[in-house]
Amino acid sequence: MITVSNAVRVYKRGKTEVRALSLESLVVPTGQFLSVMGASGSGKSTLLNLLGALDVPTSGTITIEGREISRLPDDELSAFRRDRLGFIFQFFNLLPTLTAVENVILPALLSGKSRSDMEPKAHALLEQVGLKGRDTHRPDELSGGEMQRVAVARALLTEPALLLADEPTGNLDSKTGAEVLKLIRDATRARNLTVVMVTHDPKAAEVGDRIVRLADGKVVGDELTRSAAA
Amino acid sequence: MLQLLRLVSLRHLSLSPLRTVLTIMGVAVGVATLIGIAAINRAVMGAFRSTIDTIAGKADLSISAGQAGFPEDVLEKVSKLPGVQHAAGSITVVAPVKGTPGERLYVMGVDLLDDGFFRNYEGADRDVGHMSDDLEFLNSTDRMLVSERFAASHGLKAGGTFQLVTPTGTQDFIVHGLLKETGPIKAFGGLVGVMYIGSAQVAFTRERMLDRIDVGVDPKVGTDAVKEALQAALGVQYEVARPDRRGQSTETMVRSFQLGLNLGSSVALLVGVFLVYNTVAIGVVQRRREIGVLRALGATKRRIRALFALEAVVLGALGSLLGIPLGTLLAKGTVSAVSDSISSIYVQVNATSVTFTPFEMIVGVALGIGGSLFAALRPAFVASQVQPVEALRKDMASGAANVSSFATIVGALLIAGVWPATRIPAPIENFPVGGYLAMFFILMGTTLLSPLVLRVLQRVYQRPGELALGVPGRLAADNFARAPARTAVPVSALAIGVAMTVCIAGFVGSFQKSSEKWIDQSVPADLFVTSSSKVAGVQNVPLKPEFGDPIEQMPEVAAVDRLRIYQHDLLGLRIFIVSLNPDIYNLHGKPEVREGRLPTHEMRQQGYVTISENLSRRRNLHPESTFEMDTPTGRRSYKVSGVITDYTSDQGTVFMDRKIFVAQFNDDRVDNFEIYLKDPKTTEQVRDRINAQWKDEYDLFVLSNQELRQEAYALVDNAFSVTYAMEFLAVILALLGVINTLLAAVLDRTREIGLLRAVGAARKHIVRLFAGEAALIGLTGGVIGSLSGYVLGYIVTKVVGVEATGWDFAYIFPLKLAVQMLLAATACAIIAGLYPARRASRLDVVEALAYE
Ligand SMILES: Nc1ncnc2c1ncn2[C@@H]1O[C@H](COP(=O)(O)OP(=O)(O)O)[C@@H](O)[C@H]1O
Ligand SMILES: [Mg+2]
Repeated sequence: MITVSNAVRVYKRGKTEVRALSLESLVVPTGQFLSVMGASGSGKSTLLNLLGALDVPTSGTITIEGREISRLPDDELSAFRRDRLGFIFQFFNLLPTLTAVENVILPALLSGKSRSDMEPKAHALLEQVGLKGRDTHRPDELSGGEMQRVAVARALLTEPALLLADEPTGNLDSKTGAEVLKLIRDATRARNLTVVMVTHDPKAAEVGDRIVRLADGKVVGDELTRSAAA
Repeated sequence: MLQLLRLVSLRHLSLSPLRTVLTIMGVAVGVATLIGIAAINRAVMGAFRSTIDTIAGKADLSISAGQAGFPEDVLEKVSKLPGVQHAAGSITVVAPVKGTPGERLYVMGVDLLDDGFFRNYEGADRDVGHMSDDLEFLNSTDRMLVSERFAASHGLKAGGTFQLVTPTGTQDFIVHGLLKETGPIKAFGGLVGVMYIGSAQVAFTRERMLDRIDVGVDPKVGTDAVKEALQAALGVQYEVARPDRRGQSTETMVRSFQLGLNLGSSVALLVGVFLVYNTVAIGVVQRRREIGVLRALGATKRRIRALFALEAVVLGALGSLLGIPLGTLLAKGTVSAVSDSISSIYVQVNATSVTFTPFEMIVGVALGIGGSLFAALRPAFVASQVQPVEALRKDMASGAANVSSFATIVGALLIAGVWPATRIPAPIENFPVGGYLAMFFILMGTTLLSPLVLRVLQRVYQRPGELALGVPGRLAADNFARAPARTAVPVSALAIGVAMTVCIAGFVGSFQKSSEKWIDQSVPADLFVTSSSKVAGVQNVPLKPEFGDPIEQMPEVAAVDRLRIYQHDLLGLRIFIVSLNPDIYNLHGKPEVREGRLPTHEMRQQGYVTISENLSRRRNLHPESTFEMDTPTGRRSYKVSGVITDYTSDQGTVFMDRKIFVAQFNDDRVDNFEIYLKDPKTTEQVRDRINAQWKDEYDLFVLSNQELRQEAYALVDNAFSVTYAMEFLAVILALLGVINTLLAAVLDRTREIGLLRAVGAARKHIVRLFAGEAALIGLTGGVIGSLSGYVLGYIVTKVVGVEATGWDFAYIFPLKLAVQMLLAATACAIIAGLYPARRASRLDVVEALAYE
């Protein structure tokens, strides 16, 4: 479960202050697939960064699986990210010099796990995301959709508590995008994984269980999707 | 164009101020060493020349006959010769000043009445004109007029006393008056004393001898005619020359030494130019989109090329201008070290001040700017190839860039040309063009090949990198070869610095090893006694032979060999004649005979001598070869009996029986008393006794065999100290290049750093990533440098060195130093990399992810 209460993020740009986000309360139960929508500049990325422990709120608290992450030092935030979180970005998700497998096991290697322990699992995950036989390809030998699949596999490897995706299909054509979205939904549902995904695309948002709409850093809408309601 | 430069380039340069400053510093240091060394070389040669010139005064001709001088009655003969209007004899002695080690006073013994015609002496406190009949001055053996400079530095006034070391020991001298620093008093850095000739002859035990006669010629007869007449009248052993022709063999001799210094400074500039290449190339990569926009807006390819070339010129000009004051500082700081080195090996000079000529400055600045422009050619060309559509491209850092096959081919060709280049014979003595060319080929060849080497090494480094540092280590290995053209620059710059250091150390070490073996075999005495200098040769004061008599009487002493080590011109070389007593020497010494044999007593009487290996090689002299040498007793013919290994002088050495030498050279003084003991255990005892009795009086240095060896080591080390310092600078410059390159890499990979941080890399991982890459740059530079240093050292020892010194000794690779350099290069690169690494690790994750 994720709990955000009274989280405020203020950016100072010179003398002026920008209130990028001010959330009174947001609770995401374990296993829920939450889509976040809103106009450009409404605070979506800011929210995702806070949930992803990439940034800390100016005030307020964020708790993920009982752990308060809003006041942790940098080292612990990093460790938390690699052990408990998975990320999928819009583009440039992979390190160009590493093979698909190596990209997948990167977080595990960063926590000091051994290659030989993790590789079998990574191969299995790559097969699950539909990349059988492409394990040793490098990013420049993969298509955009394939790269996103590798990113999904990486996000799943450490069995995280929360998967964060910032417009994961924004760079893909609609058919490939739909496939990747389905992959994310199926893989997370099977694992009862919580997902928070930012998207511009209403159709993509519908893939999740719930949609939260932001405007000027505040929640202006919160509803269950048809698929969840059904 | 200038608008464009202001708008595009200057903004870019000011956005990465650190990199810009590093580059400018790089050029500055390169230019500084270049003009600094040129100024030092000129200062040293100038000091030597100006001593000759200022002393020569208005003389049309001057007559000399080597170091031992000639009898003073020659003066009368000269004066009577038709066409000679004036003639003045003089002696000169460079005397160590007691109490201030290393300081020497240039004492001229002249007859002021005659001498006034040629030279102008100006008294500071009294009229020198009266001096020629000042009886107090003429009748004493200890009164001297000294330069104001000397007086001031010792706090002396007229009537004050000071001490000089003479062949008969330390003597008191009285300041009779002070001389203004004009005319001849400017010689020898202004440390000059003038005595009445008769007094000087007595004081320095040169009775009835002259070193030089200056001649004023009747213009109606003409200098050439008088020169011929003098030569005919005096005989070939006299050198009758115009003053400006004197000292040429000395200048040739010092040339190879100076060439080495010039070589060192060129390397520093080369590394500086590398930095410019680095910066401009990085700028092109980082501004591809900007260039695309310019192209889309209608800028021609030529314009883009000109823009980047201009940018390099601006960097080069700023660096060069900064290099001038820096070079001045450098020259001022090192001139005395170079001067001391030359004084201890070749000829006594006293160069303390340096001046800079506009020409040198212009050349320095031109080379700085020209080098920078040259460095920018390729990046500028690459920039002009950027297509307008790239303006639109959303750049994703790619995994791999290509290695230019053109560079690889040229690099391979250069390396292939190394061996043939070493075969090119030297066009002028002491100037081994082929060897230098081969060295240049190696440096350029490895530089061009290094991108390829980086590629290969990437695979080698991956595993160990990951083992040592985890994934960051693996990624560091990848990143290391990702922009091979860019990373190759600091690698090559480091490699050049390391290579030159290893090369010089290899040469020096090999020489020291060989000379150690030589001292072992050929210099067997237990104690060595010299006056005023630790080693006999250029700087010591020769003593009277009787000085050895009481030592001979000591019960512990088996024998005392009296050596004269006499600098003399032979076949255009300024060689040493070492005269010793073969009966003593042959009992103990086992010189390595390379050809022929050591002469027997009978052979010695027939003119057979032993010569050194390098003289043999330089002048193609072998057993039974004959050569002629001018001695104070006429031109004589000698025959080579044997060729032996000897490291007394890089010019060459002739060994003679002392008895024969004394008879032929009219000189019985002794430079080195070599003491053989009955029992080596008494060394300290005997040394203490000699020191207690005579050290003070004669300013003695009594060295044991072991200490002599150390001195020989130190002499060589000192000779190369400035060169070492320059290579050290080159390595520092290269480290600036490491910072430069990594800062650019941080910018390029900001997005990647953000991604790594998002998937859980902690700050320490990012630090390791960049420090690891720095370590690999350092390690690779160290490895390439050590390997090419191995070859360079071989070439310097076996090609350049053989040509410049005639010595051919075994080359020993300085393995220990190479390993140390390799580790130091790695460690220093890591330290240099820490700043960029820290910067990378402090990047704000959110901003890094949003980058581009
Ligand atoms: N690093 C920053 N510094 C200053 N203002 C920022 C920064 N990041 C975001 N903002 C501002 O915060 C607001 C929310 O931004 P963001 O969360 O990126 O919106 P979205 O992702 O919904 O487009 C915007 O007004 C944006 O300009
Ligand atoms: Mg956004």
